[in-house]
Amino acid sequence: MNASPVKSDPVITEIVRNGVIAITEEMKSNLMRTAYNMIIYEALDFTVGLFTPKGETISIGLGLPMFIRGMAETIKAKLEHYGVENIHPGDILLTNDAYITGSHLNHLTFTQPIFLDDELIGFACCMAHWPDIGGTLDGITTDIYSEGLQLPIVKYQRAGVVNEEIVDIIKANVRLPDRAMGDLRAQLTAIGTGERRYIELVQRYGKDQVYASISDIMDQSERAARARTLSIPDGVYEAESYMDDDGVSISDRIPIKVRVIVKGDEMTVDLTDVAAQVKGFYNSGITTGHACSQVAFKCITSPTDYPINDGSFRNLTAIVPPGRVISAVKPAPMRWWMTFPMTIVDTVFKALTPAIPDRTIAGHHADLVIGLLNGINPKTNEFYIAFIGPTGGGWGAKRTEDGVSATVCINDGDTHNSPAEQLETKFPILIENYNLRQDSGGPGEFRGGLGCENTVQARADLMLNAQVERMHCKPWGLNGGMEAAGNAVVLRANGTWKEDYPNAKLLTARILEGDAFAVRSGGGGGFGDPHKRPAETVAHDVRQGYVSVESAERDYGVICDEAGTLDVAATEKARSGT
Amino acid sequence: MESDQKTSGRIRLAADIGGTFTDIAAFNTSTGRLHFGKTLSTPDSLIDGIATGASKAGAAFSDADIFLHGSTVAINTMLERTGAKTALLITEGFRDIYEIGRVNRPDAYNLFFQKHEPLVERALRFEVHERLFAEGDVYKPLDEDHVRATCRRLREERVDAVAILLLHCYANPAHELRVREIVEEELPDAFVSTSHELSQEYREFERCSTVVANAYIGPKVKGYISGIGDRIRADGFDGSFLVVQSTGGLYDGEQAQRQCVRMLESGPAAGVIGTQALCDALGMENAIAFDMGGTTAKAGVIHHGEALTTGSALIGGYERALPIQIAMMDIFEVGTGGGSIARIADEGGLRVGPQSASAQPGPACYGQGGTEPTVTDANVLLGRLSPDRFLGGEMTLDVAAAEAAILDKVGNPLGLEAVEAAQGVLRIAVTSMSHAVKAVTTERGLDAGDFAMVAYGGAGPLHACNIAREMGIRKLIIPRSPGHFSAFGMLFSDLRYDYVRSRFARLADADFADIEAVYAELEAEGLAEIEKVSVTPERVVIARGADMRYVGQEHAVTVDLSSDLFANEDRAGIKARFDAIHDLRYGTCAPGERSEIVSLRVTVTGMLEKPLLEEIARGDATPPSSAHTGNRPVRFGEDALETATWDRMALIAGNRIEGPALIEEHASTTVLHPGDTCEVDAFGNLVISIGGSAS
Repeated sequence: MNASPVKSDPVITEIVRNGVIAITEEMKSNLMRTAYNMIIYEALDFTVGLFTPKGETISIGLGLPMFIRGMAETIKAKLEHYGVENIHPGDILLTNDAYITGSHLNHLTFTQPIFLDDELIGFACCMAHWPDIGGTLDGITTDIYSEGLQLPIVKYQRAGVVNEEIVDIIKANVRLPDRAMGDLRAQLTAIGTGERRYIELVQRYGKDQVYASISDIMDQSERAARARTLSIPDGVYEAESYMDDDGVSISDRIPIKVRVIVKGDEMTVDLTDVAAQVKGFYNSGITTGHACSQVAFKCITSPTDYPINDGSFRNLTAIVPPGRVISAVKPAPMRWWMTFPMTIVDTVFKALTPAIPDRTIAGHHADLVIGLLNGINPKTNEFYIAFIGPTGGGWGAKRTEDGVSATVCINDGDTHNSPAEQLETKFPILIENYNLRQDSGGPGEFRGGLGCENTVQARADLMLNAQVERMHCKPWGLNGGMEAAGNAVVLRANGTWKEDYPNAKLLTARILEGDAFAVRSGGGGGFGDPHKRPAETVAHDVRQGYVSVESAERDYGVICDEAGTLDVAATEKARSGT
Repeated sequence: MESDQKTSGRIRLAADIGGTFTDIAAFNTSTGRLHFGKTLSTPDSLIDGIATGASKAGAAFSDADIFLHGSTVAINTMLERTGAKTALLITEGFRDIYEIGRVNRPDAYNLFFQKHEPLVERALRFEVHERLFAEGDVYKPLDEDHVRATCRRLREERVDAVAILLLHCYANPAHELRVREIVEEELPDAFVSTSHELSQEYREFERCSTVVANAYIGPKVKGYISGIGDRIRADGFDGSFLVVQSTGGLYDGEQAQRQCVRMLESGPAAGVIGTQALCDALGMENAIAFDMGGTTAKAGVIHHGEALTTGSALIGGYERALPIQIAMMDIFEVGTGGGSIARIADEGGLRVGPQSASAQPGPACYGQGGTEPTVTDANVLLGRLSPDRFLGGEMTLDVAAAEAAILDKVGNPLGLEAVEAAQGVLRIAVTSMSHAVKAVTTERGLDAGDFAMVAYGGAGPLHACNIAREMGIRKLIIPRSPGHFSAFGMLFSDLRYDYVRSRFARLADADFADIEAVYAELEAEGLAEIEKVSVTPERVVIARGADMRYVGQEHAVTVDLSSDLFANEDRAGIKARFDAIHDLRYGTCAPGERSEIVSLRVTVTGMLEKPLLEEIARGDATPPSSAHTGNRPVRFGEDALETATWDRMALIAGNRIEGPALIEEHASTTVLHPGDTCEVDAFGNLVISIGGSAS
């Protein structure tokens, strides 16, 4: 309505807001439905997004919540590498540089510049996880070179012409080239969708109006983030936790310390005292150090505001010196990058609990809890790579709610597990069980969620790699709530279970036909004194089998039978005694 | 049989029960006349509403040879959690999969997220000692004694319904069948449901959720359907009682009492069938069915004359949804309706919906105490709804209240005049509803511009011209009685049975004899079901399809396949068809890649005799003067234009009206923009050509 090119219109701003969310959602659904590998179409280990010509985030479609910064940093690196004047219509830029994306080499990141009338108006970008990028198959890695093909920033396509040599290099380096090419096509479909729809939006409402709207959306997000930060009491908040080990130096605990400074409507997350980079493949790049801060900050300040955009983080400062486990430098091994950041995010929540106990959450199982399998499928005589999980585990309780059971960790979002009926059809395995673990949730006035057990029998010999963390550093409770069960991986050979491993990192275990392994996810920590949990609620938990009769008595001071019939007198006595 | 004497000269009666209203459509097969009745739903005894509505439409059950019925009873029982005390019997080791679900967390940064809530508490989920391999052969035999022991527990717990889910039952249903027999022996009064009767498709959580939902709503739906059957027969009805499924197809009342979950979305599906019937009558191949009510807008698609369906749906909001894995009309829904509330969000942005003012207190203009501005209030303020002719004048709209609400909650915070604010609210609502239309067209590789749009529901005609402009749609049809369109659609439904069975095979070495045997078995089942229905179809049509994907992909696309492709073992032909559909849907395909079959699908349709649409009186291009009810200013773009208002009931075939104009009827108003032209067709539909230039 207004002729001025820079003044935004609140109505068009809202239309553009809905429009960019719809675009990244469509990019996401096209990627998922055309992808070849389960890590994309079930685990949703990908992220798509639209970005400004400077690489600022307009909208992200998840995907992977922890990849909130990965694409923006990658686009900025690509811009710096080529210079904006050397990026042309029809180009598609590619890299899997783990130190740029902050993650691992499996994250192939394709970027398409969007041009309208020869002017760069933005970028469409898609990161997706390929199941194999070469490198060593089993065991732990101790440098990046053993982890597979490294593609620096390259042009996969120049002015509409594919660089077939890059395709040949990829095909020569991965174990499943057909699958890789299928996923590559799916990613191109996604960014092509983003390009087409963004051009339609800009043509419909005019470039200046769309730019003004995007700027408005970011300002709105900033206002919301500032208002919600302002409501946190000023202070310096600290917390600690640790990781079990780095998979190389067994049982050497790795300290995590975080410091959060709140002053007015600004927050600083200081990760200086997080451990230095480690020998095993649990490192991630500095992009992920920043992502840890952003994820924790968004959960606290603007959890349900969409689109996810850079405006939300203008009042956040992250201090991440290089050389930490979440800011590792070359040639640190990065293959299992995602585990430590989750615990750092949980530790930030722990730090903030004294300030805002009704907005934080007790510790969660904080791991994907997956088993990676490979072998030859006797039905087809073909090599396969498969994974069991994500198993889903317990989430922490909050001051006013129980924790949620059997849900994927914070690294992942709309990630699905795989149906047993599908796994058994595709791979030579039999799923013996997939159940909740009784008593795995941390006791509390509000109980933590339960973890799961998933037992898998081999119908033909196979190799298992399970690199699970947080067996020892169990999900913690808050404000008197108790800790939950930790994660675990166990094996069965010739009918005998072996459970006494020093950690949950079973790297390169050979599982023979008829033998089995089980992945067990931890629960979530409890919140508040378990003795304050109403006895009827505890009895209900017992009737449902979430809590055992023994735990009800030991942890909650509640006496009841398995059917949940409460012994009121005995309970009163037990509870008054403490 | 007896059906021969019933096919002529009698009434076909359709009743659509919604949350607020019960709509009746009655078609007289000898006179070709169509009558409608509308009455408030009577929640305590829904059948009374049907009887009242039928008499309003001038029809008696004793005159009807076919009674068609759609109802929200099934979906409401599920959403309101008012179903039976239900137990689940499930394969050993899998007791918790119904609670674990798919472990996904859609709201990625929300620490206060919630999961789906099972319809069966954990204490009533029991394991069955048995196990099949994926191929269908037995790994662990069924322990029948243990099942009987479990049944004793179920009796103690006094469960009313039992759901049975055993892994890989689609490859071999023997264990599910045997468990069912035992449960029926031990609990003769319980409602028992096995998963393979509803879905023979892999994905144990989704199939489990489907069979549990069926058992959970079963006793109530069964009582409801049989109650209606008893009542109408007592009133002298001796014809066929058919129920509308979520596919829009019909099944027998007896079948609806067992497979209750198939009627979850009967009302919305029937609207799409009505759209399909209009397409047939008007010679159109492609149309978008657009339905807008008080809280939501829904879009479905007719493509090449066929209504597009899907194999599964999520019930109850994505985050906490319970999946249902059966064939359904593919309908996309957005939370925008006439009652959607406009507000300024915390961070200062303008939002419309999904919160709704619902019926109480309703939009501010209803004068029932509502102070939140809604899409309806915006329409009132812009002059698009007549304050004194709403619901045929039964309700007077309070323009001042609408203006105050819009100004207070939207205009003042944004520094806009009330009318500007109302235009903004309307525009946001229109783009959000356009996303629903895009979801069913553009996102499937279809160009919305190639489609006509049929708009119905109370609020559909009011917004249809705006949406058509937004989407580049050039032709719009407002059917007769847009508020009764679902009941109208039911009159045109056919008997329909959908089957699916997972059968994994690579196309290159698929055993066609095996595939043919599966198809033959599923088709025979469908034919047998049709045999059981008391009405005889004119003819039976069998459609085959297969869910296919490239080797290594997970998501499959459904490919319709002609029988001769299989008869000729034409692997290349099947592959080419799959490549083409993949390309249409996703803009990419891989002709050089291997493909595989995941599931086989069969739809058996018993085509019923269709009512012939009644033609209305014909005139010339100029409407009768009695139809012109006045003029009033209506805001289009920058300007308020003096706009003629017309009484739709007084219009006759051939009349032409140029926009701007308002065409008013009892529960709807059609808005014509400047540049639009409307012609009343022979059947009384408003056929609107969208003007090219105006915006």
